[in-house]
Amino acid sequence: MWQVIQTPPFQRLRRIRQLGFSEFVFPGATHTRFAHSIGVFHVARQLMRVIERHIRAAGNLRYRDSSAHIALAAALVHDVGHGMFSHAFEEIGGKLHLPLAHHETVSERLIRDSELSEAMRPLGSGFANDVAAVIKGGKPGDLYHSVVSSQFDADRLDYMQRDRLMTGVESSRIDATWLSANLEVASVNTGADEMAAGSVETLALGPKAFQVAESYVLSLFQLYPNVYFHKATRAAEKVFAALMLRLVPLVRQGDVRRTGLPVNHPICRFAKEPNRLDRASALDDSVFWGAVPQLMDAKDAVIARLARCLWHRELPKCFDIRLRLEHDLPLRAHATVAERTLRNAEIRERCRQIVVRIEAWSAERPGSTSPVLIDQAARQPYKKIQDSRSLLNQILIRQGPGDPVDMAEVSPVVASAETFEVCRAYIFDGDSESNVMLENIIGTNIKGDPDVRL
Amino acid sequence: MSGYDGHMRAARVVNEAGGMLVGRTRLQKVVYLAQLAGYGDEFPFEYKHYGPFSEDLAGDMEIAAGLGMVREEERRADWGGRYSIYTATERTPSSEDPARSAFIQAAAQIDPVALELAATAAFLHENGWYDREKDGDDPWVETARRKPDKVGNGQLERAKAGYKILMALKTPRQLPHIV
Repeated sequence: MWQVIQTPPFQRLRRIRQLGFSEFVFPGATHTRFAHSIGVFHVARQLMRVIERHIRAAGNLRYRDSSAHIALAAALVHDVGHGMFSHAFEEIGGKLHLPLAHHETVSERLIRDSELSEAMRPLGSGFANDVAAVIKGGKPGDLYHSVVSSQFDADRLDYMQRDRLMTGVESSRIDATWLSANLEVASVNTGADEMAAGSVETLALGPKAFQVAESYVLSLFQLYPNVYFHKATRAAEKVFAALMLRLVPLVRQGDVRRTGLPVNHPICRFAKEPNRLDRASALDDSVFWGAVPQLMDAKDAVIARLARCLWHRELPKCFDIRLRLEHDLPLRAHATVAERTLRNAEIRERCRQIVVRIEAWSAERPGSTSPVLIDQAARQPYKKIQDSRSLLNQILIRQGPGDPVDMAEVSPVVASAETFEVCRAYIFDGDSESNVMLENIIGTNIKGDPDVRL
Repeated sequence: MSGYDGHMRAARVVNEAGGMLVGRTRLQKVVYLAQLAGYGDEFPFEYKHYGPFSEDLAGDMEIAAGLGMVREEERRADWGGRYSIYTATERTPSSEDPARSAFIQAAAQIDPVALELAATAAFLHENGWYDREKDGDDPWVETARRKPDKVGNGQLERAKAGYKILMALKTPRQLPHIV
């Protein structure tokens, strides 16, 4: 694995920050995907020892070194395909149909066909392909893979602790030592809807970890409002996305000179040839920040304005649409669960209607140097609306001698926690026109408009 | 987001399925295959370890249930998981396209494990997510590789048979020829 770490694709992770623009809010959050990846590998080795102990104790099974090595290698290289500013870049990829803006696709290709696969060759001819398959599949269907992809995977256990430490938020502390000490291997049934399929082994928690597991769920959940969905971080991500959404089409149309960048700049090369792996992997945070002074001199006024915003951290102001609706549609004291559900559904639907109207309004003024940027996101404290509620998707805890059960079955705290949602508009300083538009749209929606009746 | 009336479109699927639809897996895979067959494109799908999945569709259905446009009842399955039964209410939008309804009803008849396998194979084919050389241009090989716990007991054959039934239906767009 040491040779894997030495490769250019892996060293590139030193130039991609784990939390992208979060350092605009938390000055200490400058840690990189490189540090995180090393941390994940470390945690994965700890988890693998739990699996090895279980298999050896069972006696009738054989611990497969080769499977363990594949899973550990997958843990090390799982993030190798991240682009500049990670998830913000993926949003752009979705809108512009850039498959190589999707980190899992890039990871898989880099592992199969780059210096990484060369470095893995001494481990076996098909080793790199097996590692790529683990990352691509993203399935917790194999006990060894559960260290890479499960509710207690090494990725989550590392980033929860690392992000908390580096941002300095005092909440979201987890007791990783106790969690690890109480991890067990359990066999769980799989199926779809009402129909059973088979069974697989995965990680579960023992009875002594009940309160720590509750705390783990809530700690992860609280990182979203406190860190990942922070309004200023998200504002910077939206500005970055708007800039790239303006820049890439200009390059594709052959209008590179309007961007301020030279034709051979890595960003322009990627925009022209987005399906080339070398173009995608040439991008990182440093490449972008190095380009910003040139982007500020762009002939295109939108690019120049957005680049200045990022360079000087002059972010657009947040108008919290959802908070406003919550305030104007108050919930009565001692509301029932049904009433809360209905109100939440109404607010979500109203948010969406408002966003549709803002986007329609924005579409009428293309090329504005003060675009209204929209931010919609949701995080469930505990995944409830996945596909079938398979036990594999849940946190499993064994309370007594029987089979482990879903955490939500036994923890009223976990069961009743509601989804955290944001619906925000970002408006640039001095853009009074957009402010008036937004007030009008929200005012109409709250008073009731025949067109938007629920 | 799937647009202005995503929750109504999601709720309509229940009526299109005949007034009742059992399971979130069925909901997801039925809509995925219907869209693949050319019946709309309002819900974007991505790959999860349980096959093609649309966050928008899941979220819209939750809104529809919250607003009373469909009734959702959750039950525990014998295998330990939970599944939802969606039933239409007086507020559920009516089906508008008889051909689409016929497709959705046919897809909903397929058992959920087979449906998940079929939708997965179709997704892998559509996105080229399998090794054409190694697997002989057969996405079912990769499907079986990804879902070893679900392909036993003749499930893979049942999935292919179910997919064949859907392929035989006249649709705006021909489903991929993978059986």
